[in-house]
Amino acid sequence: MEYEKKKVWSILLRLYHWAFALSIVTLCITGFYIHGPWTNSLTEGSASFVMTWVRFVHFIAGYVFTAAVLARIFLYLFGNKQERILEHLPVTPRNIKNFFNTILRYSYIKGGHDTDRLGHNVLAGMTYVLIIIAAVFQLISGFYLLFPEVPIWEQYGVLIFGSQQAARYIHHLLMWLFMIFAFIHVYLVIWNDIRDPEGLVSAIFTGVKFQHKA
Amino acid sequence: MADTVNKTLDPRVNRRGFLKGCTMAAAALGLSESMVPKMVEAATSAQRPPVIWLHFQECTGCSETLLRGAHPDLANLILDIISLDYHETVMAAAGYQAEQALHDSMEKNAGKYILVVEGGIPTAENGIHCKIAGKTAMESLEEVASNAAAIIAYGTCATFGGVQAAKPNPTGSVGVDKLVHDKPIINISGCPPNPVNFLGTVLHYLTFQRLPAVDSLKRPKFAYGRRIHDHCERRAHFDEGRFVEQFGDEYHKLGYCLYKVGCKGPETFANCPVARFNEAGVWPVAVGHGCIGCTEPNFWDTMTPFYDRIPNVKIPGSGIVEDADRIGTKVLGVTAAAVGIHAVVGIGKRLIKGKSDSEG
Repeated sequence: MEYEKKKVWSILLRLYHWAFALSIVTLCITGFYIHGPWTNSLTEGSASFVMTWVRFVHFIAGYVFTAAVLARIFLYLFGNKQERILEHLPVTPRNIKNFFNTILRYSYIKGGHDTDRLGHNVLAGMTYVLIIIAAVFQLISGFYLLFPEVPIWEQYGVLIFGSQQAARYIHHLLMWLFMIFAFIHVYLVIWNDIRDPEGLVSAIFTGVKFQHKA
Repeated sequence: MADTVNKTLDPRVNRRGFLKGCTMAAAALGLSESMVPKMVEAATSAQRPPVIWLHFQECTGCSETLLRGAHPDLANLILDIISLDYHETVMAAAGYQAEQALHDSMEKNAGKYILVVEGGIPTAENGIHCKIAGKTAMESLEEVASNAAAIIAYGTCATFGGVQAAKPNPTGSVGVDKLVHDKPIINISGCPPNPVNFLGTVLHYLTFQRLPAVDSLKRPKFAYGRRIHDHCERRAHFDEGRFVEQFGDEYHKLGYCLYKVGCKGPETFANCPVARFNEAGVWPVAVGHGCIGCTEPNFWDTMTPFYDRIPNVKIPGSGIVEDADRIGTKVLGVTAAAVGIHAVVGIGKRLIKGKSDSEG
């Protein structure tokens, strides 16, 4: 069987993906520390500043995360065919068909491959859209917690979350959503790569997928 | 000319105490030293604003902090720079006389008096849960507020409904700004609030003829503009990672940060670490107890459990109330199990059917 090389993901999308992924890992680890610091630096005057450093790393990662989310939103509107939002939502008959087809494939009822598109299947695409929406709330709550005195964050923070504590609570719960998402995401990518050898894992590094020649 | 020899004020307020009080208020307001004489002048001028003080659903703790400071200067000062015409718990009059005093003051000073409200206003069942002189709190508030120049809601009950507004809020208790929309309102929240902030607001009003700048919850920014955490004396311990693990432990005795035992300083806006209470330089964190966030709306719902960092997760309909991280770990565990089963089914199917499925 012959395969052909197809360019799928732009450089910006791949950069977005890795900025998003690595920032999430960093944010989760530092976030857990900030939530419940597991070290105690006992010696006074030891100049350890551990909480300050962890918070600093958390904020830097937060800015990377924000940049990644903005890049993804830009690509939803102005990216290539695979990256645009209309390919990801079950709003056209073609997408709805793909959506149910994917569910059947994932539950082992149906074999075969996704042949109607190069990019994400609609189930994955829809999940990513929801994750980006969650990410927007995550970064608003984050900036509200960081800059509670800045009028714009105060305004939106109070409007959406009500109070600092409510924002912190939502911020923490959304972190768990990202961790659970990342877990399922990695599993399904590997699952798809095994079942359908189109080079899905390497595609996020190279931007290239392999398709059967028709 | 400022009356610094004090001919108009209570003789118990000496010059030193008086200037000290004005300077404290100026400092709380963030005004420069040069403003102090102007405030002194405003405080000693004959135009003392008439104040009507209403009590609704509350414990009177706000008046208590005002009156029972360790040092009497501040309370005397406040009671001297305003003309307190009606205050249900400290006035000598009772019954019809008291009602008469309220009525007279409202008529004489219509459109000029400051209304201070202490206590939440119950709204359920048309407000029958709190009645004074045969009128519900809602009716009293509407009546007195209609002719007020400005309203100061004093304490967390009057600002956000108070502890009685905790879920499920059986009396439908709300703060003043939910019922009165056409008057300038200042919320001085806290349970109890710091009298310095009340004094600061009143002096600001007297000196500049307008109310101070407020945040989105109508709290004066001079007092509620920063988080407790940002001015806390234990902040250095936080930054360097030294925490109290539990109350009474070695680190508690050393005065480390109370973050891990649930201090809500990082999410609470108030000037407690700066203004402090009772002129004795104390406030909750200074004496070893975390902040419980009493200046924030619905703190009894959002800030509880008081000794944990964030609220527990309540799953509606199931009655499950659990720590967020424990629930998160469980959900992650269930996900891992589902992924495992999914993978095993896939491998099993391939073993039975051979490789044909994937090549198809």
